[in-house]
Amino acid sequence: MSESSAEILTAPYRLKYSYKRTTGPVIGRFLTDLRDGKITGVRRPDGAVMVPPREYDPETGEALSEFVSLPDTGVVTGWTWVAEPRQLHAMSTPFAFATIQLDGAHTGMLHRVVAPDESVMRSGMRVRARWAAERVGMITDIECFVPEESA
Amino acid sequence: MAELCAVIGVGQTKHAAIRGDVSIPGLLREAAFRALEDAGITFADIDAVILGTAPDQFEGIMMPELFLADALGAVGKPILRVHTAGSVGGSTANVAASYIESGLYDRVLTLAFEKQSESNAMWALSPKYPFQPPITSGAGGYFAPLIRAYMRASGAPDHIGCKVAYKDRVHALKNPYAHLHIEDISIEKVKASPMLWEPVRYLESCPSSDGCAALVLAREEVADRHSGPKAWVWATEMRSEPMQFAGRNQVLPQAGSDCAKSLYKKAGITNPQAEIDVAEIYVPFSWFEPMWLENLHLCEPGEGWKLTDNDETTFGGRLPVNPSGGVLSTNPIGASGMIRYAEGALQVRGMAGDRQVDGAKVALGHAYGGGSQFFSMWIVGSDKPS
Repeated sequence: MSESSAEILTAPYRLKYSYKRTTGPVIGRFLTDLRDGKITGVRRPDGAVMVPPREYDPETGEALSEFVSLPDTGVVTGWTWVAEPRQLHAMSTPFAFATIQLDGAHTGMLHRVVAPDESVMRSGMRVRARWAAERVGMITDIECFVPEESA
Repeated sequence: MAELCAVIGVGQTKHAAIRGDVSIPGLLREAAFRALEDAGITFADIDAVILGTAPDQFEGIMMPELFLADALGAVGKPILRVHTAGSVGGSTANVAASYIESGLYDRVLTLAFEKQSESNAMWALSPKYPFQPPITSGAGGYFAPLIRAYMRASGAPDHIGCKVAYKDRVHALKNPYAHLHIEDISIEKVKASPMLWEPVRYLESCPSSDGCAALVLAREEVADRHSGPKAWVWATEMRSEPMQFAGRNQVLPQAGSDCAKSLYKKAGITNPQAEIDVAEIYVPFSWFEPMWLENLHLCEPGEGWKLTDNDETTFGGRLPVNPSGGVLSTNPIGASGMIRYAEGALQVRGMAGDRQVDGAKVALGHAYGGGSQFFSMWIVGSDKPS
Protein backbone atom coordinates (compact mmCIF):
# COMPACT_ATOMS: atom_id res chain seq x y z
CA MET A 1 0.00 0.00 0.00
CA SER A 2 1.41 3.36 -0.94
CA GLU A 3 1.60 6.00 1.73
CA SER A 4 -0.82 8.29 -0.07
CA SER A 5 -3.59 5.75 -0.68
CA ALA A 6 -4.98 5.55 2.84
CA GLU A 7 -5.04 8.14 5.52
CA ILE A 8 -6.35 6.58 8.72
CA LEU A 9 -8.22 9.28 10.58
CA THR A 10 -7.91 9.65 14.30
CA ALA A 11 -9.47 12.14 16.66
CA PRO A 12 -9.01 12.91 20.31
CA TYR A 13 -11.64 11.46 22.62
CA ARG A 14 -11.46 13.23 25.94
CA LEU A 15 -13.74 12.17 28.78
CA LYS A 16 -14.12 14.64 31.59
CA TYR A 17 -16.71 14.30 34.32
CA SER A 18 -16.93 15.96 37.67
CA TYR A 19 -17.51 13.79 40.72
CA LYS A 20 -18.18 14.48 44.35
CA ARG A 21 -17.35 12.40 47.42
CA THR A 22 -19.21 12.30 50.68
CA THR A 23 -16.69 11.46 53.37
CA GLY A 24 -19.04 9.96 55.96
CA PRO A 25 -18.84 10.35 59.73
CA VAL A 26 -15.32 8.92 60.28
CA ILE A 27 -13.12 10.14 57.43
CA GLY A 28 -15.15 13.35 57.59
CA ARG A 29 -14.24 13.79 61.27
CA PHE A 30 -10.54 13.17 60.52
CA LEU A 31 -10.53 15.81 57.78
CA THR A 32 -12.50 18.36 59.80
CA ASP A 33 -10.07 17.93 62.70
CA LEU A 34 -7.10 18.38 60.38
CA ARG A 35 -8.60 21.71 59.41
CA ASP A 36 -8.59 22.57 63.12
CA GLY A 37 -4.93 21.52 63.43
CA LYS A 38 -5.66 18.22 65.20
CA ILE A 39 -4.96 14.62 64.26
CA THR A 40 -7.69 12.09 65.09
CA GLY A 41 -7.55 8.33 64.88
CA VAL A 42 -10.04 5.61 65.67
CA ARG A 43 -9.73 2.72 68.12
CA ARG A 44 -10.38 -0.87 67.05
CA PRO A 45 -12.07 -3.33 69.43
CA ASP A 46 -8.65 -4.84 70.31
CA GLY A 47 -7.42 -1.40 71.40
CA ALA A 48 -5.25 -0.68 68.35
CA VAL A 49 -5.48 2.88 67.06
CA MET A 50 -5.67 3.49 63.30
CA VAL A 51 -4.75 6.80 61.76
CA PRO A 52 -5.93 7.82 59.27
CA PRO A 53 -9.08 6.26 60.71
CA ARG A 54 -11.18 3.72 58.86
CA GLU A 55 -14.98 3.72 58.91
CA TYR A 56 -15.14 -0.06 59.38
CA ASP A 57 -12.79 -2.54 61.00
CA PRO A 58 -10.64 -3.96 58.20
CA GLU A 59 -10.94 -7.50 59.57
CA THR A 60 -14.37 -7.80 61.14
CA GLY A 61 -16.27 -5.09 59.27
CA GLU A 62 -17.51 -3.67 62.58
CA ALA A 63 -18.39 0.03 62.52
CA LEU A 64 -15.74 2.05 64.37
CA SER A 65 -16.61 5.21 66.28
CA GLU A 66 -14.24 5.59 69.26
CA PHE A 67 -12.16 8.60 68.24
CA VAL A 68 -8.70 9.13 69.71
CA SER A 69 -6.76 12.43 69.68
CA LEU A 70 -3.13 11.96 68.74
CA PRO A 71 -0.08 14.19 69.02
CA ASP A 72 1.50 15.49 65.83
CA THR A 73 4.74 13.64 66.54
CA GLY A 74 5.82 10.15 65.59
CA VAL A 75 8.40 7.83 64.11
CA VAL A 76 9.41 7.16 60.50
CA THR A 77 8.98 3.44 59.82
CA GLY A 78 9.94 3.47 56.14
CA TRP A 79 10.97 6.06 53.57
CA THR A 80 12.15 6.71 50.04
CA TRP A 81 14.11 9.80 49.03
CA VAL A 82 13.00 11.91 46.09
CA ALA A 83 16.24 13.60 45.03
CA GLU A 84 14.89 15.32 41.96
CA PRO A 85 11.26 16.28 42.44
CA ARG A 86 9.23 16.63 39.28
CA GLN A 87 6.51 19.14 38.60
CA LEU A 88 3.69 16.94 39.96
CA HIS A 89 5.44 16.21 43.25
CA ALA A 90 4.13 19.49 44.67
CA MET A 91 7.47 20.21 46.37
CA SER A 92 10.31 21.72 44.39
CA THR A 93 13.08 20.71 46.79
CA PRO A 94 14.19 17.16 47.67
CA PHE A 95 12.05 15.31 50.24
CA ALA A 96 11.17 11.78 51.37
CA PHE A 97 7.93 9.89 51.00
CA ALA A 98 7.61 8.21 54.37
CA THR A 99 5.39 6.02 56.49
CA ILE A 100 4.96 7.72 59.84
CA GLN A 101 3.59 6.02 62.92
CA LEU A 102 2.28 8.76 65.18
CA ASP A 103 2.87 8.41 68.91
CA GLY A 104 -0.01 6.31 70.26
CA ALA A 105 -0.99 4.92 66.84
CA HIS A 106 -0.62 1.32 65.70
CA THR A 107 -0.70 1.99 61.97
CA GLY A 108 1.52 4.00 59.65
CA MET A 109 0.39 7.05 57.72
CA LEU A 110 1.85 7.96 54.36
CA HIS A 111 3.15 11.51 54.18
CA ARG A 112 6.34 13.35 53.29
CA VAL A 113 9.36 14.33 55.34
CA VAL A 114 11.42 17.41 54.57
CA ALA A 115 15.00 17.05 55.80
CA PRO A 116 18.25 18.89 55.02
CA ASP A 117 19.47 15.93 52.94
CA GLU A 118 19.11 12.18 52.49
CA SER A 119 21.83 11.37 55.03
CA VAL A 120 19.53 12.57 57.82
CA MET A 121 16.85 10.03 56.91
CA ARG A 122 16.60 6.75 58.77
CA SER A 123 13.85 4.44 59.92
CA GLY A 124 13.20 5.12 63.58
CA MET A 125 13.87 8.85 63.33
CA ARG A 126 11.45 11.08 65.20
CA VAL A 127 9.42 13.63 63.26
CA ARG A 128 6.91 16.35 63.95
CA ALA A 129 4.15 17.73 61.69
CA ARG A 130 4.57 21.13 60.09
CA TRP A 131 1.09 22.51 59.63
CA ALA A 132 0.01 24.48 56.59
CA ALA A 133 -0.74 28.13 57.21
CA GLU A 134 -4.14 27.84 55.54
CA ARG A 135 -6.04 24.65 56.31
CA VAL A 136 -9.03 23.41 54.31
CA GLY A 137 -9.76 19.88 55.55
CA MET A 138 -7.34 17.87 53.41
CA ILE A 139 -4.37 15.65 54.21
CA THR A 140 -2.18 18.47 52.84
CA ASP A 141 -3.24 20.56 55.86
CA ILE A 142 -0.13 18.84 57.22
CA GLU A 143 2.40 20.44 54.89
CA CYS A 144 5.02 17.83 55.75
CA PHE A 145 6.85 16.23 58.68
CA VAL A 146 10.28 17.45 59.75
CA PRO A 147 12.95 15.91 61.99
CA GLU A 148 11.87 16.57 65.57
CA GLU A 149 15.16 18.13 66.68
CA SER A 150 14.93 20.73 63.91
CA ALA A 151 11.26 21.53 64.57
CA MET B 1 -30.70 -31.04 40.36
CA ALA B 2 -30.19 -27.42 41.34
CA GLU B 3 -30.91 -26.25 44.88
CA LEU B 4 -34.00 -24.16 45.50
CA CYS B 5 -33.30 -20.55 46.48
CA ALA B 6 -35.33 -18.35 48.81
CA VAL B 7 -35.18 -14.70 49.83
CA ILE B 8 -35.01 -14.63 53.63
CA GLY B 9 -34.00 -10.98 54.10
CA VAL B 10 -34.77 -7.71 52.34
CA GLY B 11 -33.28 -4.30 53.08
CA GLN B 12 -33.13 -0.93 51.42
CA THR B 13 -32.00 2.56 52.28
CA LYS B 14 -34.19 5.59 52.68
CA HIS B 15 -33.65 6.81 49.14
CA ALA B 16 -33.07 10.52 48.56
CA ALA B 17 -31.60 12.99 46.07
CA ILE B 18 -28.54 13.46 48.29
CA ARG B 19 -27.56 11.13 51.11
CA GLY B 20 -24.83 13.46 52.31
CA ASP B 21 -24.87 11.85 55.75
CA VAL B 22 -23.21 8.65 54.54
CA SER B 23 -20.21 7.63 52.48
CA ILE B 24 -20.70 5.10 49.67
CA PRO B 25 -19.75 2.22 52.04
CA GLY B 26 -22.10 3.66 54.67
CA LEU B 27 -24.94 3.70 52.16
CA LEU B 28 -24.45 0.01 51.35
CA ARG B 29 -24.24 -0.95 55.01
CA GLU B 30 -27.58 0.69 55.74
CA ALA B 31 -29.30 -1.66 53.27
CA ALA B 32 -27.12 -4.64 54.19
CA PHE B 33 -27.89 -4.38 57.91
CA ARG B 34 -31.61 -4.10 57.27
CA ALA B 35 -31.50 -7.25 55.13
CA LEU B 36 -29.42 -9.12 57.73
CA GLU B 37 -31.73 -7.98 60.53
CA ASP B 38 -34.77 -9.11 58.54
CA ALA B 39 -33.09 -12.52 58.09
CA GLY B 40 -32.05 -12.61 61.76
CA ILE B 41 -28.38 -13.21 60.91
CA THR B 42 -25.06 -11.33 60.82
CA PHE B 43 -22.20 -10.90 58.35
CA ALA B 44 -20.60 -13.99 59.91
CA ASP B 45 -23.41 -16.16 58.49
CA ILE B 46 -22.82 -14.95 54.92
CA ASP B 47 -20.76 -17.16 52.57
CA ALA B 48 -20.39 -14.83 49.57
CA VAL B 49 -21.24 -11.27 48.50
CA ILE B 50 -22.52 -10.40 45.02
CA LEU B 51 -22.55 -6.70 44.23
CA GLY B 52 -23.95 -4.68 41.34
CA THR B 53 -23.71 -1.08 40.22
CA ALA B 54 -23.96 0.84 36.97
CA PRO B 55 -20.98 1.66 34.70
CA ASP B 56 -17.76 2.77 36.41
CA GLN B 57 -17.92 6.29 34.97
CA PHE B 58 -21.10 6.98 36.99
CA GLU B 59 -19.25 7.19 40.31
CA GLY B 60 -15.76 7.14 38.86
CA ILE B 61 -14.68 4.12 40.93
CA MET B 62 -13.00 1.18 39.25
CA MET B 63 -13.79 -2.23 40.77
CA PRO B 64 -15.96 -0.87 43.61
CA GLU B 65 -16.38 -4.36 45.06
CA LEU B 66 -12.76 -4.34 46.23
CA PHE B 67 -13.04 -0.96 47.90
CA LEU B 68 -16.28 -2.07 49.58
CA ALA B 69 -15.17 -5.51 50.78
CA ASP B 70 -14.41 -4.65 54.41
CA ALA B 71 -17.54 -2.55 54.84
CA LEU B 72 -19.57 -5.55 53.69
CA GLY B 73 -17.96 -8.11 55.98
CA ALA B 74 -16.53 -9.84 52.91
CA VAL B 75 -12.91 -10.19 54.05
CA GLY B 76 -11.81 -13.73 53.20
CA LYS B 77 -15.01 -14.48 51.30
CA PRO B 78 -15.86 -14.52 47.60
CA ILE B 79 -17.02 -11.12 46.36
CA LEU B 80 -18.08 -10.53 42.77
CA ARG B 81 -19.31 -7.49 40.90
CA VAL B 82 -21.96 -7.82 38.18
CA HIS B 83 -22.20 -5.25 35.42
CA THR B 84 -25.13 -5.06 32.97
CA ALA B 85 -25.93 -1.32 32.75
CA GLY B 86 -29.37 -0.30 34.10
CA SER B 87 -30.54 -3.89 34.39
CA VAL B 88 -27.69 -4.64 36.80
CA GLY B 89 -29.83 -4.65 39.94
CA GLY B 90 -31.82 -7.53 38.50
CA SER B 91 -28.97 -9.48 36.98
CA THR B 92 -26.96 -9.15 40.21
CA ALA B 93 -29.73 -10.91 42.12
CA ASN B 94 -29.94 -13.50 39.34
CA VAL B 95 -26.23 -14.23 39.69
CA ALA B 96 -26.57 -14.40 43.47
CA ALA B 97 -29.46 -16.86 43.10
CA SER B 98 -27.27 -18.99 40.83
CA TYR B 99 -24.64 -19.14 43.58
CA ILE B 100 -27.28 -20.60 45.90
CA GLU B 101 -28.71 -22.87 43.22
CA SER B 102 -25.23 -24.26 42.58
CA GLY B 103 -25.30 -25.76 46.08
CA LEU B 104 -21.91 -24.26 46.95
CA TYR B 105 -23.23 -21.66 49.39
CA ASP B 106 -25.79 -21.64 52.20
CA ARG B 107 -26.39 -17.88 52.34
CA VAL B 108 -25.44 -15.13 49.91
CA LEU B 109 -25.73 -11.38 50.47
CA THR B 110 -26.45 -9.46 47.29
CA LEU B 111 -26.55 -5.68 46.97
CA ALA B 112 -26.96 -3.08 44.26
CA PHE B 113 -26.35 0.63 44.69
CA GLU B 114 -25.89 4.02 43.10
CA LYS B 115 -25.00 7.33 44.70
CA GLN B 116 -26.11 9.59 41.90
CA SER B 117 -25.37 12.73 43.92
CA GLU B 118 -21.65 11.88 43.63
CA SER B 119 -21.80 11.14 39.93
CA ASN B 120 -22.87 12.58 36.63
CA ALA B 121 -25.08 9.88 35.15
CA MET B 122 -26.68 11.95 32.42
CA TRP B 123 -23.47 13.03 30.74
CA ALA B 124 -21.70 9.77 31.50
CA LEU B 125 -24.34 8.24 29.24
CA SER B 126 -23.82 10.78 26.48
CA PRO B 127 -20.10 11.14 25.78
CA LYS B 128 -19.11 13.04 22.64
CA TYR B 129 -17.69 10.23 20.52
CA PRO B 130 -15.40 11.37 17.70
CA PHE B 131 -16.85 11.18 14.17
CA GLN B 132 -20.41 10.88 15.50
CA PRO B 133 -22.88 13.73 15.79
CA PRO B 134 -24.10 14.14 19.38
CA ILE B 135 -27.80 13.30 19.03
CA THR B 136 -28.87 12.36 22.53
CA SER B 137 -28.74 14.03 25.90
CA GLY B 138 -29.22 11.43 28.57
CA ALA B 139 -31.63 8.51 28.66
CA GLY B 140 -34.72 10.66 28.11
CA GLY B 141 -33.44 11.88 24.77
CA TYR B 142 -32.82 8.33 23.69
CA PHE B 143 -36.16 6.90 24.78
CA ALA B 144 -38.53 9.73 23.73
CA PRO B 145 -38.67 8.69 20.04
CA LEU B 146 -39.40 5.09 21.08
CA ILE B 147 -42.33 6.34 23.13
CA ARG B 148 -43.59 8.33 20.12
CA ALA B 149 -43.34 5.19 18.00
CA TYR B 150 -45.37 3.25 20.59
CA MET B 151 -48.03 5.94 20.74
CA ARG B 152 -48.41 5.94 16.97
CA ALA B 153 -48.47 2.16 16.61
CA SER B 154 -50.89 1.52 19.49
CA GLY B 155 -53.14 4.55 19.02
CA ALA B 156 -52.78 5.28 22.73
CA PRO B 157 -54.23 8.64 23.77
CA ASP B 158 -51.85 11.35 24.99
CA HIS B 159 -52.92 11.28 28.65
CA ILE B 160 -51.67 7.72 29.40
CA GLY B 161 -48.17 8.86 30.31
CA CYS B 162 -49.48 11.45 32.75
CA LYS B 163 -51.75 8.82 34.28
CA VAL B 164 -48.86 6.44 34.94
CA ALA B 165 -46.78 9.25 36.43
CA TYR B 166 -49.64 10.23 38.74
CA LYS B 167 -50.41 6.63 39.77
CA ASP B 168 -46.82 5.74 40.67
CA ARG B 169 -46.37 8.93 42.72
CA VAL B 170 -49.59 8.13 44.62
CA HIS B 171 -48.21 4.64 45.25
CA ALA B 172 -44.95 6.14 46.52
CA LEU B 173 -46.85 7.94 49.28
CA LYS B 174 -47.43 4.47 50.80
CA ASN B 175 -43.72 3.60 50.69
CA PRO B 176 -41.57 5.13 53.44
CA TYR B 177 -38.36 4.27 51.53
CA ALA B 178 -39.36 6.05 48.30
CA HIS B 179 -37.35 9.10 47.28
CA LEU B 180 -40.26 11.21 45.98
CA HIS B 181 -43.20 11.92 48.23
CA ILE B 182 -45.21 14.48 46.28
CA GLU B 183 -48.15 15.02 48.62
CA ASP B 184 -50.10 17.26 46.23
CA ILE B 185 -49.58 15.13 43.12
CA SER B 186 -52.36 15.33 40.53
CA ILE B 187 -52.78 14.59 36.83
CA GLU B 188 -53.00 18.36 36.26
CA LYS B 189 -49.70 18.90 38.05
CA VAL B 190 -48.04 16.27 35.84
CA LYS B 191 -49.51 17.82 32.67
CA ALA B 192 -48.38 21.28 33.73
CA SER B 193 -44.78 20.21 34.36
CA PRO B 194 -42.17 21.27 31.76
CA MET B 195 -41.73 19.22 28.60
CA LEU B 196 -38.21 17.76 28.74
CA TRP B 197 -37.98 15.41 25.78
CA GLU B 198 -41.26 15.51 23.88
CA PRO B 199 -43.51 13.67 24.77
CA VAL B 200 -41.83 13.14 28.17
CA ARG B 201 -42.58 15.78 30.78
CA TYR B 202 -40.51 16.50 33.89
CA LEU B 203 -42.97 14.69 36.17
CA GLU B 204 -43.10 11.75 33.74
CA SER B 205 -39.38 11.16 34.39
CA CYS B 206 -37.55 9.36 37.14
CA PRO B 207 -35.58 11.33 39.73
CA SER B 208 -31.84 11.01 40.41
CA SER B 209 -31.44 9.15 43.68
CA ASP B 210 -28.89 7.87 46.16
CA GLY B 211 -29.84 4.40 47.31
CA CYS B 212 -29.07 0.75 47.84
CA ALA B 213 -31.03 -2.49 47.99
CA ALA B 214 -29.89 -5.73 49.61
CA LEU B 215 -31.20 -9.29 49.70
CA VAL B 216 -30.18 -12.32 51.72
CA LEU B 217 -30.66 -15.50 49.70
CA ALA B 218 -30.53 -18.99 51.19
CA ARG B 219 -30.71 -22.53 49.89
CA GLU B 220 -33.78 -24.62 50.65
CA GLU B 221 -32.57 -26.54 53.70
CA VAL B 222 -31.30 -23.34 55.34
CA ALA B 223 -34.40 -21.36 54.41
CA ASP B 224 -36.68 -24.09 55.78
CA ARG B 225 -35.05 -23.68 59.20
CA HIS B 226 -35.60 -19.92 59.00
CA SER B 227 -38.68 -18.82 60.92
CA GLY B 228 -39.65 -15.72 58.96
CA PRO B 229 -41.65 -15.51 55.74
CA LYS B 230 -39.79 -16.42 52.56
CA ALA B 231 -39.99 -15.54 48.89
CA TRP B 232 -39.11 -18.63 46.86
CA VAL B 233 -37.32 -17.98 43.61
CA TRP B 234 -39.34 -19.81 40.95
CA ALA B 235 -37.20 -18.71 38.03
CA THR B 236 -34.62 -16.15 36.91
CA GLU B 237 -33.83 -15.15 33.36
CA MET B 238 -31.66 -12.74 31.36
CA ARG B 239 -31.50 -11.78 27.68
CA SER B 240 -29.68 -9.10 25.71
CA GLU B 241 -29.47 -7.85 22.15
CA PRO B 242 -27.33 -5.31 20.29
CA MET B 243 -28.33 -1.67 20.50
CA GLN B 244 -28.62 -1.35 16.74
CA PHE B 245 -29.30 -3.81 13.97
CA ALA B 246 -31.41 -3.75 10.85
CA GLY B 247 -35.07 -4.41 11.56
CA ARG B 248 -34.66 -4.09 15.32
CA ASN B 249 -37.90 -3.44 17.16
CA GLN B 250 -36.62 -0.95 19.72
CA VAL B 251 -40.08 -0.33 21.17
CA LEU B 252 -40.84 -3.97 21.97
CA PRO B 253 -37.41 -5.63 21.84
CA GLN B 254 -37.17 -9.30 21.03
CA ALA B 255 -34.74 -9.83 23.95
CA GLY B 256 -37.39 -8.63 26.41
CA SER B 257 -40.10 -10.78 24.87
CA ASP B 258 -37.87 -13.87 24.72
CA CYS B 259 -36.69 -13.30 28.29
CA ALA B 260 -40.27 -13.15 29.61
CA LYS B 261 -41.38 -16.23 27.68
CA SER B 262 -38.42 -18.25 28.92
CA LEU B 263 -38.94 -16.98 32.47
CA TYR B 264 -42.58 -18.05 32.55
CA LYS B 265 -41.71 -21.44 31.09
CA LYS B 266 -39.03 -22.04 33.74
CA ALA B 267 -41.44 -20.91 36.46
CA GLY B 268 -44.19 -23.21 35.23
CA ILE B 269 -46.43 -20.25 34.42
CA THR B 270 -48.64 -20.89 31.42
CA ASN B 271 -50.92 -17.86 31.71
CA PRO B 272 -48.93 -14.91 33.06
CA GLN B 273 -51.90 -12.54 32.84
CA ALA B 274 -53.83 -14.74 35.27
CA GLU B 275 -51.08 -16.21 37.42
CA ILE B 276 -48.99 -13.14 38.34
CA ASP B 277 -50.48 -11.15 41.21
CA VAL B 278 -48.19 -8.12 41.27
CA ALA B 279 -45.44 -6.76 39.04
CA GLU B 280 -42.53 -4.47 39.83
CA ILE B 281 -41.41 -3.27 36.40
CA TYR B 282 -38.56 -0.92 35.50
CA VAL B 283 -40.44 2.21 34.34
CA PRO B 284 -38.07 5.22 34.28
CA PHE B 285 -40.32 7.21 31.96
CA SER B 286 -44.08 6.91 32.37
CA TRP B 287 -44.90 5.46 28.96
CA PHE B 288 -42.74 2.44 29.62
CA GLU B 289 -45.49 0.95 31.80
CA PRO B 290 -47.79 0.11 28.87
CA MET B 291 -44.82 -0.67 26.63
CA TRP B 292 -43.35 -3.22 29.05
CA LEU B 293 -46.76 -4.74 29.85
CA GLU B 294 -46.92 -5.66 26.16
CA ASN B 295 -43.29 -6.76 25.93
CA LEU B 296 -43.80 -8.95 29.02
CA HIS B 297 -46.94 -10.59 27.56
CA LEU B 298 -48.99 -9.33 30.49
CA CYS B 299 -51.67 -8.12 28.06
CA GLU B 300 -52.54 -8.54 24.41
CA PRO B 301 -50.38 -6.66 21.88
CA GLY B 302 -51.42 -3.02 21.57
CA GLU B 303 -53.54 -3.19 24.73
CA GLY B 304 -51.03 -2.15 27.40
CA TRP B 305 -52.28 1.42 27.58
CA LYS B 306 -55.83 0.20 28.16
CA LEU B 307 -54.82 -1.58 31.37
CA THR B 308 -53.33 1.69 32.57
CA ASP B 309 -56.31 3.71 31.42
CA ASN B 310 -58.80 1.37 33.12
CA ASP B 311 -57.00 1.53 36.49
CA GLU B 312 -56.04 -2.14 36.20
CA THR B 313 -52.43 -1.36 37.21
CA THR B 314 -53.15 0.10 40.63
CA PHE B 315 -54.41 -1.38 43.91
CA GLY B 316 -57.64 -3.29 43.29
CA GLY B 317 -56.89 -3.65 39.57
CA ARG B 318 -56.20 -6.80 37.57
CA LEU B 319 -52.43 -6.44 37.91
CA PRO B 320 -51.05 -3.85 40.34
CA VAL B 321 -47.84 -2.51 38.80
CA ASN B 322 -45.18 -0.82 40.94
CA PRO B 323 -47.09 -0.53 44.23
CA SER B 324 -43.79 0.78 45.64
CA GLY B 325 -43.95 3.87 43.43
CA GLY B 326 -41.46 2.33 41.05
CA VAL B 327 -38.46 3.86 39.32
CA LEU B 328 -40.55 6.99 38.70
CA SER B 329 -40.36 7.63 42.45
CA THR B 330 -36.87 6.26 43.23
CA ASN B 331 -33.97 5.85 40.81
CA PRO B 332 -30.54 4.98 42.17
CA ILE B 333 -29.78 3.54 38.71
CA GLY B 334 -27.73 0.48 39.60
CA ALA B 335 -30.03 -0.34 42.53
CA SER B 336 -33.33 0.21 40.72
CA GLY B 337 -33.56 -3.32 39.32
CA MET B 338 -32.85 -4.90 42.69
CA ILE B 339 -35.43 -2.65 44.34
CA ARG B 340 -37.97 -4.10 41.87
CA TYR B 341 -36.91 -7.63 42.89
CA ALA B 342 -36.90 -6.71 46.58
CA GLU B 343 -40.35 -5.15 46.43
CA GLY B 344 -41.71 -8.25 44.67
CA ALA B 345 -40.18 -10.41 47.41
CA LEU B 346 -41.74 -8.21 50.12
CA GLN B 347 -45.14 -8.57 48.44
CA VAL B 348 -45.13 -12.38 48.41
CA ARG B 349 -43.77 -12.43 51.97
CA GLY B 350 -46.70 -10.25 53.02
CA MET B 351 -44.26 -7.65 54.37
CA ALA B 352 -44.95 -4.67 52.07
CA GLY B 353 -46.71 -2.60 54.72
CA ASP B 354 -49.13 0.04 53.42
CA ARG B 355 -48.20 -0.84 49.85
CA GLN B 356 -49.09 -4.52 50.28
CA VAL B 357 -51.24 -5.97 47.49
CA ASP B 358 -53.88 -8.15 49.16
CA GLY B 359 -53.28 -11.84 48.66
CA ALA B 360 -50.14 -11.45 46.53
CA LYS B 361 -48.61 -14.92 46.10
CA VAL B 362 -46.68 -14.59 42.85
CA ALA B 363 -44.61 -11.54 41.87
CA LEU B 364 -42.63 -10.50 38.81
CA GLY B 365 -39.45 -8.44 39.20
CA HIS B 366 -38.13 -6.80 36.00
CA ALA B 367 -35.18 -4.64 35.06
CA TYR B 368 -33.85 -3.33 31.79
CA GLY B 369 -30.85 -1.32 30.72
CA GLY B 370 -28.83 0.17 27.89
CA GLY B 371 -30.89 1.14 24.85
CA SER B 372 -33.74 -1.21 25.89
CA GLN B 373 -31.35 -4.09 25.24
CA PHE B 374 -30.43 -5.79 28.55
CA PHE B 375 -33.19 -7.59 30.44
CA SER B 376 -33.24 -9.33 33.82
CA MET B 377 -36.30 -10.85 35.43
CA TRP B 378 -37.37 -13.13 38.19
CA ILE B 379 -40.53 -14.70 39.53
CA VAL B 380 -40.88 -15.18 43.28
CA GLY B 381 -43.69 -16.94 45.11
CA SER B 382 -44.99 -17.39 48.66
CA ASP B 383 -44.83 -21.14 48.14
CA LYS B 384 -42.07 -23.33 46.82
CA PRO B 385 -42.28 -23.84 43.05
CA SER B 386 -44.39 -26.86 42.19
